[in-house]
Amino acid sequence: MELGMEQAWLLPAITGGTFAFLLLFGKYLPRGGDFLAVGAGVATFVVFLFILTDLLDVPRESLPIGKGWDWVSFEGLEIRLGFEVDEITIVMLAVVTFVGSLIVLYSTGYMRGDPRYGWFFTVLMLFITSMLTLVLADNLLLLYAAWEGVGICSFLLIGFWHERRSAAEAAKKAFITTRIGDVGLLIGIILFWRATGTFDISEIIEAAEHGEGLLGDGTYLTLATLLLFAGAAGKSAQFPLHVWLPDAMEGPTPVSALIHAATMVVAGVYLVSRMMPVFAAADPIALDVVTALGFITVFISAAIGLVQTDIKRVVAYSTINSLGLMFIALGSLSVTAAMLYLLTHGFFKALLFMASGSVIHATEEQEVSKLGGLIKKMPITGWTFAIGALAMAGLAPLSGYWAKDEILVALEHEQNIILLALASFSVFITAIYMGRIFYLAFLGEPRDHHVHDRAHESPPVMTMPLVVLTALTLVSGFIVFSGVGEALGFDGGFGEFVYFEEPEVFHFDWIIGIGSLIAVIAGLAAVPYFWGGTGERAHAVAQQFPWAYKLVKNKFYMDEIYQVFLDRVVFVLSGILAWFDRNVVNDTGVDGSAMITRLAGYRAKFVQTGQLPNYAFAIAFGVIMLAVIAFAVEF
Amino acid sequence: MIPLQHFLVLSGVLFSLGIYGVLARRHAVLILMSVELMLQAVNINMIAFAVYFDPEAFVGLIFAIFIITIAAAEVGLALAIVLRIFRNRATANVDEVNIMKW
Repeated sequence: MELGMEQAWLLPAITGGTFAFLLLFGKYLPRGGDFLAVGAGVATFVVFLFILTDLLDVPRESLPIGKGWDWVSFEGLEIRLGFEVDEITIVMLAVVTFVGSLIVLYSTGYMRGDPRYGWFFTVLMLFITSMLTLVLADNLLLLYAAWEGVGICSFLLIGFWHERRSAAEAAKKAFITTRIGDVGLLIGIILFWRATGTFDISEIIEAAEHGEGLLGDGTYLTLATLLLFAGAAGKSAQFPLHVWLPDAMEGPTPVSALIHAATMVVAGVYLVSRMMPVFAAADPIALDVVTALGFITVFISAAIGLVQTDIKRVVAYSTINSLGLMFIALGSLSVTAAMLYLLTHGFFKALLFMASGSVIHATEEQEVSKLGGLIKKMPITGWTFAIGALAMAGLAPLSGYWAKDEILVALEHEQNIILLALASFSVFITAIYMGRIFYLAFLGEPRDHHVHDRAHESPPVMTMPLVVLTALTLVSGFIVFSGVGEALGFDGGFGEFVYFEEPEVFHFDWIIGIGSLIAVIAGLAAVPYFWGGTGERAHAVAQQFPWAYKLVKNKFYMDEIYQVFLDRVVFVLSGILAWFDRNVVNDTGVDGSAMITRLAGYRAKFVQTGQLPNYAFAIAFGVIMLAVIAFAVEF
Repeated sequence: MIPLQHFLVLSGVLFSLGIYGVLARRHAVLILMSVELMLQAVNINMIAFAVYFDPEAFVGLIFAIFIITIAAAEVGLALAIVLRIFRNRATANVDEVNIMKW
C-alpha cells in the first residue's frame, strides 16, 4: 500500500492502538510497555515523513487531501470521521510526531522508578492520539472531540502526582479554566453549523468567504468567530485565561515540555490559523481582539517572568509570552509568522523544558535561589539550555530570531508603528528574563552547596533528545530562506509554503532585523549588570518601585481576582441554584410526584378485593356502560 | 319462518341468565356453567344472523363451530384449575379463594 496523505488516519490509529494495548495489558509487560510507546512515537514520525513526501508531490490547489468515513448520519446532521492534511497541518504534524517521539524517549529516563511508570506512557499515548486527531480532523466536531481529549489528558498528566495537593489543584484549575474557553468554542461551532448545516472546515471557510446564508450577516459571523477564538484563547493560555498554564508546571516535566509547550497549548494558534479565512471574512474587530489579547498576554507574562524564581515557571511564562506573540502574528493575518514561530517554538521550548527537567531530575530543586553554577556539573544540560534560552530571547542566527523577525515584519506590513515598537520592546524584556534565568541557574557561584554536590549530568537517554533539539533550534530558522527550502524539496522558503492568501518570498528587513537584534543584545547585556554578584542592583530596582514589584510578584493579582469572583459571584449563585435544586426540583418536583403516586397507589390498591364476583361485576358493568355510550353516540 | 327477532330475544335472555349466574353464584363450577350459557347465547346469535343474511355462505356457521371448540378447551382448562383449587383448599367457593388481592 502506498503511504501518503490519504493514509493520514494511520497516525492516530497507531498511537490509539498502542494506548488501548497499554491500557489493557500494560501491567503484564516488562517496564510497563514503555518500549511500545517509544516505538509508536517513532512509527508516527516515519508515517509523517511519508505524508510529507506525498504532500510535496501534489499541486497546492488540490490540498487538503484526506480520507473520511461517515460516522453519524441523520437527516440534516452529518458527522464524519475524516482526516485530512494541508500545509498548516503538516507543520503541526512535524512538531507533534517529532517532539512527541523525543519526549516519550526522554520520559523513559525522567520517569524511571515512578510507581505509576506504565500509566504515564498510557496517558501519553492517549494524548498523542487526541492531538493527532485534533490536527488532522477535517470537521469541527471531530476537532472539538479531540480538543476535549487533549484537555482530559492534560488534566490527568498535570495531576499525575495527585498525592500532592498542589498538583491536584493545578489539574483542576487547568481543566476548568480551559473549559470556560471550550464552552465558547462549542457554541461557536454550533453557530457555524446552524449557518451552514455542516461541520466540514473547508465548506465552512468557503461559506464564510462567500458570505452565504447566515454567515453573510457580519455580526453573526463575527460573534461565531470570536467564540471560536475564546476556545483558542483558553487552550493557548491567553489573557485572561492564562492563569492555568504556570500552575500546570506541577506535572512531570516531560508533560510540561510536550503538552504545555510544544503541542496542546499551540492548538489554539493552530485552530485560528486553520480558520484564518473566516477571521479575515469577519469584522476587523475579531482580528483586533486577537491582536489586543496577544499584546496584553505578552506584556503580562514578560513582566511576571522577570520576577519568578522557579526555573520551570519562568519557562512557562515564556511559553505564554510566545503564544501571545503567535496571536499577534495571527492578528496581522500572518499565518506564515505564526506557524514558523509555532514550529521553532516547539523545538526550543521543548528543549528548555527538558533541560530544566534535567536540572530538576539531578538536583531535585527548581528554585533558582538554591541553584547556580550548574554548568560545570551538567555541561550538556547547561549548554543546551543556554541555546534554547538564546533562541527564545531571539538572538541571531538561532531559530527564534527568524520567527520573531517574521512577526515583526508582519506588524510592519500592517503599518502600525506603535504595535511594532511594543513588540520590539517585548523582545527586549524576553531577552532579559531568559538571560536572567540561565544566569541564575547555571552561572555564578553555587548558592546551595548541598544541592550543588548532588548535581550530576543526566543519563544519555535524557541528554540525547536535548542535543537533537538543540541542533534543530540552531538550524530550523533557516527554512525561511528560499534556498534552504528548495534544498529540502519544498517550493521555496517557509513563507512560500505556509501562507494565507499570498505566498511571501523572504526578504530581510535590515531596520527590523538589526533593531530586534540590538534589543536582544541590550537585554542580555543587562542581565549580568542587574543580577551579577548577589543581585543587589535588581533588588535596588525592586525597592525603588515597591508597588510595581509587588504587583508583578503577585502576578497582577489575577488569581486573587478570580478567587474573589468565585467567592462573591459563582459560589453565591451556585448556592442559590443548589438550594433551588434541592428544595424545588428534588424535594418538591421529584420526591413530591413520587409521593403522590405512592399515596394514590396506596389508596387505589383496595380496589383489588380478590373477590371473583367483584371482578365479574366490574366487567359486566363496563360492557354495559360501553353499550350505553355507543348507543348514546349512535343516536 | 320464525322471525329473526325471536332468536335475538332468546339469545338475549340466555345471555342475561348467564351474566346473572356469573355474578350471583358462588360455586366455581356453577359460574363455569353460566359462562357456557353466555357462549351459547352468542352462538345462537351467530347462526341466526348467518342464516338470515347470507344463507349461501358458511362464515357464521364456522364461527359457531370455533366458539364451541374454544368453549370446550376453556372449560377443560378451567375445570382443571378448579380441581387444583379444591384439592388445595377443600372448597370451590370463589368467595373463599381471595388471595389475589392487595
